[in-house]
Amino acid sequence: MSNESTTEAAVSTGHLGAQAVTIEQEIQSFLADRTKITVPVDQDLFASGLVSSMFAMELVVHLERTYSIAVIGSDLKLDNFRTIERMTALVSRLQDFAAAPGA
Amino acid sequence: MPESRAELRAIVDALVGDCAASWDLAGQLPNDVLRKLGSNGLLCAEVPKEYGGLGLGSQDGGAFTAYVGSLCSSLRSVMTSQGMVAWTIQRMGTQQQRYEYLRRLTGGELASVAFSEPEAGSDLSTMETEIRWDGDEVVLDGKKVWTTAALYADLIVVVGVQGQAGAAVIVPAGAAGVTVERVANPSGCRAAGHANLRFESVRLPADAVLGGGGQPLSWLFTTALAYGRISVAWGCVGILRACLSAAATHAATRRQFGKPLAEHQLIAHHLAELYTAEQVATRACEHASRCWDAGSPELVVATVLAKYVSARGAARGAAAAAQIMGSAGAQDGHVVARAYRDAKLMEIIEGSNEICQLILAQHAVTTAR
Repeated sequence: MSNESTTEAAVSTGHLGAQAVTIEQEIQSFLADRTKITVPVDQDLFASGLVSSMFAMELVVHLERTYSIAVIGSDLKLDNFRTIERMTALVSRLQDFAAAPGA
Repeated sequence: MPESRAELRAIVDALVGDCAASWDLAGQLPNDVLRKLGSNGLLCAEVPKEYGGLGLGSQDGGAFTAYVGSLCSSLRSVMTSQGMVAWTIQRMGTQQQRYEYLRRLTGGELASVAFSEPEAGSDLSTMETEIRWDGDEVVLDGKKVWTTAALYADLIVVVGVQGQAGAAVIVPAGAAGVTVERVANPSGCRAAGHANLRFESVRLPADAVLGGGGQPLSWLFTTALAYGRISVAWGCVGILRACLSAAATHAATRRQFGKPLAEHQLIAHHLAELYTAEQVATRACEHASRCWDAGSPELVVATVLAKYVSARGAARGAAAAAQIMGSAGAQDGHVVARAYRDAKLMEIIEGSNEICQLILAQHAVTTAR
């Protein structure tokens, strides 16, 4: 799959910081690699039938390994994985939590 | 705390000895054996050390599971159940739930996880068991069938519907409204404590709901079954090793038509197939466990592949072993007779052969280049 289309589709992230844009692009690229579709960052992945429960688990494991985070407990909610934007927010929050003093 | 594979095996050898046959015939594992293994953390050996577990990785845990599976599939099934509960709590539970319950699971309490229902087998999406909020409590109603190890369990994790989503609750087996009925005369893993369960207006505190509930139902069983499948897969490797050992020894020593069975080509064919099944299952399990230990997303599909290859291999391998053994292995309780019955169930539980095939075919289609 072309990396150009992945990059193009992620350009519309506007107000997000550079780090979040990078996370969005990386997740988009992972999805594109597995599904051969470049998904807009605000598209509902479950409503569109793109992500099965088995693939959702792959996504969780991928995010955990790539960003050195643990997605467990009450963070394992559909809403946190519904779009690339939501996943990016989840990753950013968990990274901040891990980086916080005394965390 | 035991560390090495040899130490773990020695503990199990001392507790199991040559009793697996009599446990199979009685349909019951001794309580003290389960409690001793449980209180040493050996029934869920992959629980991290901070929660009282041995902290084994998937490869070491798998090797241990295969060893127990080679001795007694009923005991291995109890381990699979305990490990599935621990894994589900580790993934889905809050920090407080992990701290409380994982320590209990490594401290001697026994646990099982309830999925299947009278009308929801392979199609778990048709689950009817309901977990509904009532103020700051939840109320559980429903029926579960063929829940492995439930007969021995102190705690039962019940997966059910909660509104539009799902939830998993930790239920004390002795709670008011819980009925546990033994499944009579199961054809395999006869001492694994299968039970049918009824929950009638069982009231539980909010902190019994894993992670607060509201997860997609499919995520709950995909998570729990991932552990269950890798555990069953390694258990099948154990079945194959026990069969290979018994059949190869018999074929080398039993003489017919003036020579050992092994020198008859039709028997050699069975032996080759059995050896191949053991090796292929081992490699598939090793690969999947390496994916677990590396945190690779491939673990999801590799685990289904390992379960499918190992269960099918075990059922065919055990049948070949029974054929080689002839009357010598045809008595209930014999290691090969047990393997033959137990392996068939492994093709059914934790995702039947056919469900595994559907998942693997779907994967092949979505990843086609």
